[in-house]
Amino acid sequence: MDLLQHSIQSAFLLLLSADPELLNIVWVSLKVSGISTIIASFIGIPCGFVLAYSSFYGKRFVLTCLNTLLALPTVVIGLLVYSFISRRGIFGSLELLYTQKAMIIGQVILIIPLIASLSIAAVSRIDSRYRKTALTLGATQKQMAWVILKEARYGITAAIIAAFGRVIAEIGISMMLGGNAKGFTRTMTTAMALEYDKGEFVLAVALGLTLMSIAFAINLLFHFFQGRDGINVV
Amino acid sequence: MLYETRHLTQSFKGKKVLDLARLRLEKSKIYALTGANGAGKSTLLNLLSFLDKPTSGEIYFCGERVKHNRHQLLALRRRVVLVDQYPIHFTGPVWKNVEFGLKIRGISKQDRTKRTKEVLELVGMEEFEYAEAHNLSGGESKRLALARALAINPEVLLCDEPTANVDMENQEAILNILKEINTVHGTSIILSTHYLSQSRKLAHHTLVLEHGQLADTRNENIFKCESITEEGDILCCKINSKIVLHLSAKGFTFQKINKSSKLLIDSKRIKMLQKSEEPTKTNTLPGTITHVEKDNGNVRITVNCGITLYLSLTMDDYLMQKPMIGEQRTMLFPDGAIRFSMKR
Repeated sequence: MDLLQHSIQSAFLLLLSADPELLNIVWVSLKVSGISTIIASFIGIPCGFVLAYSSFYGKRFVLTCLNTLLALPTVVIGLLVYSFISRRGIFGSLELLYTQKAMIIGQVILIIPLIASLSIAAVSRIDSRYRKTALTLGATQKQMAWVILKEARYGITAAIIAAFGRVIAEIGISMMLGGNAKGFTRTMTTAMALEYDKGEFVLAVALGLTLMSIAFAINLLFHFFQGRDGINVV
Repeated sequence: MLYETRHLTQSFKGKKVLDLARLRLEKSKIYALTGANGAGKSTLLNLLSFLDKPTSGEIYFCGERVKHNRHQLLALRRRVVLVDQYPIHFTGPVWKNVEFGLKIRGISKQDRTKRTKEVLELVGMEEFEYAEAHNLSGGESKRLALARALAINPEVLLCDEPTANVDMENQEAILNILKEINTVHGTSIILSTHYLSQSRKLAHHTLVLEHGQLADTRNENIFKCESITEEGDILCCKINSKIVLHLSAKGFTFQKINKSSKLLIDSKRIKMLQKSEEPTKTNTLPGTITHVEKDNGNVRITVNCGITLYLSLTMDDYLMQKPMIGEQRTMLFPDGAIRFSMKR
C-alpha cells in the first residue's frame, strides 16, 4: 500500500515538474493516436454510412465480418503489418518498421471496424423521415447524406472518441511496429510496460495517471459539445 | 395535364397495395384523396412525389414520362414537394428548417432570409423564427412543415393528412393556407384526408381509394359484414346486431365473401320514402333525420337508423320530400344501391 501511495505522490510531483521525457512520451502518444483516429474516421464513417443505407447481397455477412474484426487482437494486427513492412515484406523497401508511420498504419486497421460499426449503429438509429424529407425538399444524394450525418453527429462523435480511447490505450501494435524507441516511438503504454519491467513504478504510475487524465479531459470536452440534447441522444 | 398514370401498381413484399388502371390530375386544382386506413393514399402520394418507384406502370408528369433515373428524379423532386403526415424537423431553429430547400438550391443568404420571413408570415409563425424546431407543438410542427415546403415555391404540393392530430384552430389555419396558395399562386395541391367535410370544402375533386383502387363512390356508408347467410339467390348480411340487408347473390360465389367483406351503400341511390308510402319488408330501415346541409348543388342528409347513413338528394327531391331534422322517415335500398367491397 505504501508503494502505491509513494508512487502516486511521486507521479504527481513528476507531472508538476513537466519532465521533458514524460512530455515527449505524452506528445508521441497523442500525435500517433490522433492521426490514426483522423485517418480511420475518414474511412470508417463513410463505410458505416454506406453499409447502413445500402442493400446488397451478402450485407449480413459483411456486417458479421465487421463485428468479428472488433475482437481482433492488437498482436495479430502487429504481426500482419509486420509481415508487410519488415525488410523481407513487400513494402520492406519503404523502411516503415519501427517508425510512427508503422504504428499509425496498425492503429488505423485496429479502429476502422470500430468506427464503422458504431457509425452504422448511429446512422441506423436516425429516423428514416429525415432521408425522405431531405429528398422531397430537393436534396441530392450527397446533401441527404450530410443531413443524416448531422443528425447522427452525437453517435458519430461517440464512435470517434471510443476509437481514440482504444488506440491511446493499446500496447501490442505500438510495441511490435514502433519498437518503443526512446524519443521517437515510445508511447505512454509502451513506456509504462518498460518502466514496470525495470521496477520503476513512479514513472509507470505517472504515465497511467496522465493517460487517465487525458481520457477524462476528452470525455469532458465531448459532453461540453454534446450539450443537454446530446446526452439524451447517445 | 399535371399527372397521368397508366396501370400503376405498387407492391410491398409481394402484396399489391396500389393498383390504378388510370389516373389523370389537372394543373392548379386541389384534389382530395380519401379512403380507409391502408387504402393506398400514402403509397400514391409517395409515388406522385417521386420518392418511391412503382412496381409497374407509368407516370407522366407535365407530359414527361418519369424514368426514375437519378438525374431526372432530382429535377422532378425540385418541382414537387410532399409534406409528411408526421413531419420531422432538422435539429436547429425554425428558420434553418425553412431555408433548407433554398440553401441546397444555392439561393443567396439575403434571398433565403427574405423568403423565410415571407413563408413564416404566411403560415402565421413569424414569432417562432428563432425557436427550436423540436420544441414545437403538433399544430405548429405541421405549419412549419408546410412553411418549409412552400419556401421553395413548388408547382405541386402533396400533403399526407395535413390536419390529422391537430386541434380545430390549427386545422382551420392549415386549410386556409392551402386554399390561399392554390388561389393566389395556382399551386396544384393533392392531399389525403379522412375528413369528408374537408374534401368537400376545399377540394375541386375528391378521389376515393378502396383496397388500392379508385372507387366510384364516396368514402361513406361503408359497413363491415358481421355475418353472411345464403337464402337461395339472396345473401343476407348482418351489419350490426339488428340490421340485416339483402343482396342478390348473382355474380358472387359464397366462398369469395369472407369476414373482411364490407358493404357499400351508395348515398345517391338510397331512397327516402314519402310519409304516406308503406315500407316493404326487406331492405328498408326507419331512422331519424339528424343533419341536413347543402353539398355542391345537392342536399346531404344524415339519418340515424341504428347506423349512421348519409343520403344525397337532388334539390328537386329535397324540395318535394322536405325532410326535417328530428323527423322519422324510412330509407329504402333498391337493387344496385348496396354492393360488396372485397380485398383482392
